[in-house]
Amino acid sequence: MKVHYYPGCTLKEKTTNLDNSTREAMKRLDVELVEPEGWTCCGAEYPLTEEKIVGLAAPIRVLRQVREESGDVLITTCSFCYAVLKRANKAVREDPLKHKRINAYLKDDIKINALTKEKTTGFTEYNGEVKVLHLLEYLRDAVGYPKIRSRLKRDLKGLKIAPYYGCRLLRPQKEVGIDEPDNPHIFEEFLEVLGCASVDFPFKQECCGSYLSVSLPDAATEASYQILRSAGLNGAQAIAVSCPLCFYNMDRRQDRIREKFMDFTGLPVLFFTQLMAWALGVEKKVLGLDQHFYPPDHLFREEKKAEVVL
Amino acid sequence: MRVKLKTGPEPKKFIERVEELSGENVYACYQCGRCSAGCPVAFEMDILPNQVIRLVQMGLEEEVVRSKTLFLCASCFTCQSRCPKGIDMARVMEAVRYILDPKGKDAFGPDEIPVDLANELPQQVMVSICRKFSK
Repeated sequence: MKVHYYPGCTLKEKTTNLDNSTREAMKRLDVELVEPEGWTCCGAEYPLTEEKIVGLAAPIRVLRQVREESGDVLITTCSFCYAVLKRANKAVREDPLKHKRINAYLKDDIKINALTKEKTTGFTEYNGEVKVLHLLEYLRDAVGYPKIRSRLKRDLKGLKIAPYYGCRLLRPQKEVGIDEPDNPHIFEEFLEVLGCASVDFPFKQECCGSYLSVSLPDAATEASYQILRSAGLNGAQAIAVSCPLCFYNMDRRQDRIREKFMDFTGLPVLFFTQLMAWALGVEKKVLGLDQHFYPPDHLFREEKKAEVVL
Repeated sequence: MRVKLKTGPEPKKFIERVEELSGENVYACYQCGRCSAGCPVAFEMDILPNQVIRLVQMGLEEEVVRSKTLFLCASCFTCQSRCPKGIDMARVMEAVRYILDPKGKDAFGPDEIPVDLANELPQQVMVSICRKFSK
């Protein structure tokens, strides 16, 4: 199976563990990931006012490239990229004015041959043909849980993981929501397919403070602390996330959370793809566990072997 | 809070501009306060989200523009998902930010990113904060 995969800017440098674990895990599920040629940053934020339409040009350019390469599905793991690409796609598909203006911007985008200065491809309007999926949705709908179950190499039984959705995967429901905004369950189902126990906790769809960790660190520290504390109180051994920014706020900033809240002892934060890759039999060094502030090594113990099913 | 109501074309122009930019009907709000109750950063705000929309309804541009609430919104859409009238508060906030003096100083531009943090920050946070809080 071949599918287009958009890693996004952060996965290429700061959280290579998310990128590498995704690639290794998908290899073991017989899915070939293809990056769209010459992809750029998606813009990270979907422009919310009616007049800032130029912000849609970057995501639509990526989606148009996918269509040019005759792809019909684009998958992402970063929640920010997922939200921007999916909302932009929907806007172009459903809003005739935005469709017209964005295509007018992209008209100058035609590839020019470097040697002959000739235009190599003609311009065709992008109408929202590509389907944007989050990796969790793709694993559920296209790969299928029975296939994942049949490929598991390690037993994660006994691991208690709290799934954390955050804001961008769920809201606004009409435009991006992969699940119900106040009672989501896709992440829990996926963790249970991997064999670990999912821990329900009331802060799973709250915001971690997002980009406020730069402009107003205290607000992000407080918001992240509430999430980590709630997960810990409900008995989780670790939190699973899909967004590099949630990972930064909740894991890389744990030293600052500890400084402010004396009762906080720390909790490992993992990407769901690391758990998936580990369960599918990928070696430990690929998981990039050295990029974590709170070392999660104790959760990845080699002696746990899957029972052989004859 | 004591405010002086104004009449005439000025406040009306402000309300119409916010509605045009955000695409939301601000008069739909009946002040139930669920947006403020769910907001993860409400404890840092001087004016709560429901008060922002009330001030917009009354056309009090100066009061809204002065508040630091506009630059505390993380666009997590918790308010949007809980509003019984279906108003997207994040869009109203963005519309008011867009109306602010275009020649004024950026609330948070690339220069404000702390140098010692620049190496550890993920790229997406630098892109998103500059897109949200600068012109």
